[in-house]
Amino acid sequence: MNGNSKRTAPFRLKVWGRNACFTRPEMKVERVSYDVMTPSAARGVLESILWKPAIHWLVERIDVLAPIRWESVRRNEVGSVMSPGSKGIFIEEKRQQRAGLLLRDVAYTIHSRLEMTEKAGTEDNLTKFQEMFLRRAEKGQCFHRPYLGCREFAADFALIRRDEPLPEPIAVSCDLGWMLYDIQHDNRADKNHVHSCTESCRPSFFRAELSNGVLLVPSLDSGEVRQ
Amino acid sequence: MILQALTAYYKRLAAEGTAVSEGFKRIEIPFLIILNMEGEFVGLQDTRVPHGRKLVAQSFLIPTENERQGSKAWQKTNFLWDHYGYVLGWPKTENKKDKEMARKQHETFVAETKMISTFCTEDKAVEAVCRFVVSGNFDAVFNHRLWKDCSKISGCNLTFQIENQIGLVCQRDSIKAFISKGQFVNDEDEQSDCIREWVGFCLVTGETGPIARLHPRTPVVGSKSGAKIVSFQKNMGFDSYGKIQSYNAPTCKKAAFAYTTALNEMLSKKSRQKIFVGDATTVFWAAKKNDLEDVFADIFGEPAKENPEQANKAIRILYEAPKAGVPPLTEDYTRFFVLGLAPNAARIAVRFWHVGTVGETAQHILQHFEDCKVVHGPKQPEYLSLFRLLVSTALQGKSENIPANLAGEFMKAILAGTPYPHTLLAAVIRRCRAEREVTYPRAALLKAVLARAARFYKHSEQEVGMALDTGNSNIGYRLGRLFATLEKIQEEANPGINATIRDRFYGAASGTPVAAFPHLMKLKNHHLAKLGNRGRAVNLEKVITEIMDAIVDFPTHLSLQDQGRFAVGYYHQRQVFFTKNTNN
Repeated sequence: MNGNSKRTAPFRLKVWGRNACFTRPEMKVERVSYDVMTPSAARGVLESILWKPAIHWLVERIDVLAPIRWESVRRNEVGSVMSPGSKGIFIEEKRQQRAGLLLRDVAYTIHSRLEMTEKAGTEDNLTKFQEMFLRRAEKGQCFHRPYLGCREFAADFALIRRDEPLPEPIAVSCDLGWMLYDIQHDNRADKNHVHSCTESCRPSFFRAELSNGVLLVPSLDSGEVRQ
Repeated sequence: MILQALTAYYKRLAAEGTAVSEGFKRIEIPFLIILNMEGEFVGLQDTRVPHGRKLVAQSFLIPTENERQGSKAWQKTNFLWDHYGYVLGWPKTENKKDKEMARKQHETFVAETKMISTFCTEDKAVEAVCRFVVSGNFDAVFNHRLWKDCSKISGCNLTFQIENQIGLVCQRDSIKAFISKGQFVNDEDEQSDCIREWVGFCLVTGETGPIARLHPRTPVVGSKSGAKIVSFQKNMGFDSYGKIQSYNAPTCKKAAFAYTTALNEMLSKKSRQKIFVGDATTVFWAAKKNDLEDVFADIFGEPAKENPEQANKAIRILYEAPKAGVPPLTEDYTRFFVLGLAPNAARIAVRFWHVGTVGETAQHILQHFEDCKVVHGPKQPEYLSLFRLLVSTALQGKSENIPANLAGEFMKAILAGTPYPHTLLAAVIRRCRAEREVTYPRAALLKAVLARAARFYKHSEQEVGMALDTGNSNIGYRLGRLFATLEKIQEEANPGINATIRDRFYGAASGTPVAAFPHLMKLKNHHLAKLGNRGRAVNLEKVITEIMDAIVDFPTHLSLQDQGRFAVGYYHQRQVFFTKNTNN
C-alpha cells in the first residue's frame, strides 16, 4: 500500500448527454469539437461532483461508449469576456451567432483517481475524500451541473461501483492527433486566492489515440504531455 | 485533425513537386508591366482570359502579401508587386486625400524596391525594375492603350516582367533566395505591435517552434477577402487564459503556412478539388493521388453545358469493373477527406468534416445514386447532380433559397452513408405541396429518403421502389396512385384543360385525404361519363378498382412519411401513363 497511498483506488464514472462540444483550441471561434472527450473536460465533470483545495483529480482513461456522431448547428454565444473588476456585462448587447460542429448522443466512462495536494491539512486523508466522492456520486449530488465541454450541454452521470461490470466501449481505433491535455496554470500572479491568467499559463497537449474505443490518458509527469 | 490532414496534404503536394514554396502564394495579377533590361517601359500585358461572361486574371506564384490594416497600412508594401497605388502612385480617385495616399504608398514601394536591389546586386532584372521605379516617370504607362482597362479595376495588382524572358521578376531565384532568408516574410506582426514572439509547442506538428500570431488568409466564396480559418478577433470574448489572437491555439508558423497553402490550392479558381453545395464550399483530397479525387467534383457538380456526359462518365467509373491489375475504387484503403466550409462574414465555419477511406466513400456515393434511382422520362439525365437535387427543394429553384445547413447535412449523409436529414423530407414535401408538382428530382429525393430510412432503421414495412409497385399497399402510396389516375381521367375527359384537379387539390389530397377524395371520386364519375371511348373508360375504372382494393377508408390525415409516399406513388403512376402513351 505504501507506494500507492498517495492516490485512491480508481473510480469509474459513466457520463452521457444529448450533445457535447469539446472545442478544439484552433477552432474555438466557430467551434469544432474534438472527436472524444478531453482529459480536462473529464476533470471538469469530476470537479463538479467533488472538489476541495486539498484534492486533485487524475484522469487515467476515457472509454467511448457511443459511436462518434456529428451535428452542425448555429447558436448564440456571448462575444465578450468579463473582467474580474467589472460589474457585469449585458448579454443582449454582446450576442454573436456562431456555427458549431458538435458531437451528439455521447457516452463515456471516465476512469480516475484522487490525489492529495500540498494544501491538504492534517485533518484530511484520502479515505475521507474517497468516501465523500462515492457517497456524492451515488446520490447524484454535485456542486454544479456537470457538462460536456460547454455549459449548455448538461451531462448525466452514474457511478459504476467496483463490483459492477464496465460498459463495453465501441470498436473504433484511430489516431486523434494532438489533443489538449489541460492548461498548466501559473499561480505566481495570484492575489487573495483569486487566479488571474498570465502569459505563462500554457496549454499542454498529448498524442491521443483511440484503441478499441479506449483513450489512455498519460499522467502529467510521464513525459508524454507537452507544453 | 483538420489542420493536421491539411498539413499532410501540403507535404504530399511538396513530394509531388507541385507545392507552393514558403513565402509564396498564388495571386491574381490582371496586368503585367513589361520592361527591357535597361528598365525602360515596353508595354502592358493583359493576362485576363474570358471565363464565361467574365474576364478572369491569371494567377501567378508570387511573394506572399503583407497583411495591411489600419491607418499606417501605406507603410507596408508587397514584394515587387502590388496595386497601382504602390507600384505607380496612381490614386484610386482624383480626391486630394487619395492622391496623397497614393504618393505615400508609392514612396514605400520605391524604398522597398531599392532595398531589394541592394540585396540582389547580381540580378540585372531586379536592377531594371528598380531603375524604372526610381525614375518616377510613368507617363508612358499611363498613355498606353491598355491603361484604361487596368485603371478601371479597383486596386488592380501589377507586377513586372522583363521583355523576352520567361517568368516574372518577383519569381526569380535571387528573390526566392532573398525571401527564404525569412527576414521579410511574416515579420509584420511581431515588430509592429511590440508583441513578444512566442516559441512553443505546435498543436499541429507536435514540434516546438515560433508560434504564428496571425494565420495566412484562406477566404472561401461568400466571405470577406481577409477571412481565415483560424483567427481570433481581439476583445470579442476569444482571449482566454491570458492569450491574445492565435496564441490561443499555438500553431507554428510553418504549419500555419502549410495548411493554408494546401487549402488555398484547393480553393483556387482552377482547382478541380472543390464543389459548391448550397452555401458551403466543399474541398476534398486523398492521402495519396487517387481516382476518386479526380472524379469527385464531376460526380457531384452540375455537368458543364459543353459536356453534359462528364458527370455520367464519372459515376460510371465508380460502377466500372476494375482494369487489369488495378483494384476497384471500392477496395481502396487510401484515406479520403472532405471538408465543408461556410462563410460567416469575416470568419469561416466548418460545416462538416468527413474522414473515410476511398473505398468506403465510393461505396457510399454509389449507394446514394442507387437510392436516388427512380423512373424518369427518356430525355432526363440518368443521374441527378447534387445541385439539381438541392435546388428542387428550394423556393423558385434558386440555390440561395436552399435551407441553410440542409446542404451540408445532406452531403455529410451521402459521404457517411447515414440516413438523410429529416429536414430534407419536410423540405421536399413542402415544395411539392406549394408548387403542386412532383418533379423528377423531388420524386428521386423522396424515394431516396424513404428507402434509406427503411434500410437504416430496418422497418418491416415495404418501402417505395424505383418504379410503380402495384403490390405496395401503403395507404399514402395508394392514394398517390389514385390521385394520379383521377387526374389522368380528368385530362382525358377534358383534353387541353388548363388547371387540373392537381392544381386545386394536391395539398388537401396529400395532407388530409378525407377532405378531398370523396369529392374527387364523385367528380371522377362525371369525367368518365364524358369520355368518348367506352373501352378506355372501363380500363381506367379497372385501374381505380385495383388501386382501391387495398384502401379501406380515406384517412383523416397522412404522416410526413406517408405524404412522401403519396408523392412517390403519384409520380410512379404518372410515369406509367406517360410510357403507355408512347407505346401506343
